Amino acid sequence: MKLTTIRESSADIDAAAAAWAGRVDRGPLSDQDQAALEAWAAQDPRRAGAYAKALAVSARLDRAAGLGADFAPASHPAAKAADRRRLLATGGLLAAASVVGAVGYGALSLKGRVTTAKGDIRRAPLQDGSAVTLNTDTAIRAAFDGKMRRVDLLRGEALFDVAKDPARPFVVVAGDVRVRAVGTSFTVRTHADGQVGVIVREGVVEVWRGAEGKPVRLAAEHAVQVATAGALTPTPVGSAAVDRAMAWRQGQIDLDGLTLGQAADEFARYSDRRIVIDDPSVARLKMTGLFSASDPDGFAKAAALSLGLQATTQADGVRLTRG
Amino acid sequence: MTLATQQRAIWLARNALPHEPALRAWLSRRPLAGLEVDDIVQETYAILAALPSVDHILNGRTYMFEVAKSVVLRSLRRSRIVAFEALAEAEALEPPSDAPSPETVAADRQELSRIAALIAGLPAKCREAFTLRKVHDLSQREVARRMGVSENTVEKHVGKGIGVLMNALGRGGNARFQASRNRTDRDPDQDQSEVDHDPREQRRH
Repeated sequence: MKLTTIRESSADIDAAAAAWAGRVDRGPLSDQDQAALEAWAAQDPRRAGAYAKALAVSARLDRAAGLGADFAPASHPAAKAADRRRLLATGGLLAAASVVGAVGYGALSLKGRVTTAKGDIRRAPLQDGSAVTLNTDTAIRAAFDGKMRRVDLLRGEALFDVAKDPARPFVVVAGDVRVRAVGTSFTVRTHADGQVGVIVREGVVEVWRGAEGKPVRLAAEHAVQVATAGALTPTPVGSAAVDRAMAWRQGQIDLDGLTLGQAADEFARYSDRRIVIDDPSVARLKMTGLFSASDPDGFAKAAALSLGLQATTQADGVRLTRG
Repeated sequence: MTLATQQRAIWLARNALPHEPALRAWLSRRPLAGLEVDDIVQETYAILAALPSVDHILNGRTYMFEVAKSVVLRSLRRSRIVAFEALAEAEALEPPSDAPSPETVAADRQELSRIAALIAGLPAKCREAFTLRKVHDLSQREVARRMGVSENTVEKHVGKGIGVLMNALGRGGNARFQASRNRTDRDPDQDQSEVDHDPREQRRH
């Protein structure tokens, strides 16, 4: 990249490009404007790129006509929230922003519970700009106020993409375990045995147990498994392992070094069709690969094929035995 | 740099714009040796805009990721101070698979309601001008006449609106209005007026 004296910020470039798109939207450019636009864009490829994107966004808005003539944006909940924010800002009352309500239109009320049924994945936007992706059979409850953004993970597993807000820490409460972040991305999973697993994709989070526990810092690409007692020991995991652990976001299960018994438990999280393994020596066999979480039968057949087993389909699942 | 044509803009709207959030997420998890994701994204669009033809591109997402990767590599090679490891690591970048995640499928389905919310969030005058132009499909001149303002003012409002949507549509990671595909449970004491549940949301029952 060029080292010019003062580098124009990407945001400034985007704003200038949007202004040009607004002019183009008005009608064909005059020769003079066209020349000015070309001269502007020629100085930095980022400008040409931002202009291309601005035109693309303007073109994308052909879809907005689909909202119909009845569309009344001023009475839309997002308009009310935005107007209220602006009012607060002009009055210098931003500190009182905790009164701001829901953003509306598909955004979730923060007082509400959000759940997924078995086999479902759902991405839920939060009013502060954060987002939660819920894995199968998961329930959360969010409670935000002016001091803290609190989300209770009632069961299951969720990925948290946290918007930066240093004034309001984002705290996930999973049973006795607390995870605190300012702006980052991490998953929290509750296990049937009461353990809680935390994996950090980006940023840094703090994890502790109980109301008074001493926080342990967890950096990006680190994980910790919190049992009901004992020390919290973060372990480094590679970015590939982080991606694997989050394969569920694509509806997939990644079986890296898991036994068939563990794999059966994993599939049971996503589907009521069970993989039944009676023979412990079969349950100890290992299988590696990426499988669709919604297809335990397909997995069982693949396992049978590669491990020389027999997969028998039954009414409520599939049974794996030695052939 | 070749400027984007209207035709290329339409292609970009369909084949690049929807993948920008995923591209940003992918880039932000990689070591970029001081490069800004915003810069890489802008340069990626510049290259896509300047291609002589896009007829040969079967998969816009894959192509966009590859272009972004080439931008990263080119910049890394140009900077002499970059550690060899960073370059090797960047060369090993594998763009993610093509399978659309449930998130992106759902996001597409509800893009319209997202656009509605984004328009609604604009300042009042800007919102009015933008709605008349883009939802009612009136010309900027006609919008100016109806609102009793100059055409230059309308142009500024429309440009502002495009700027807001540019920012929002590119950054899906923290976007507020992505779709969901199953039910929401609510506490019985919850104030229903705070929930504007989209009735078009598809349910799986």
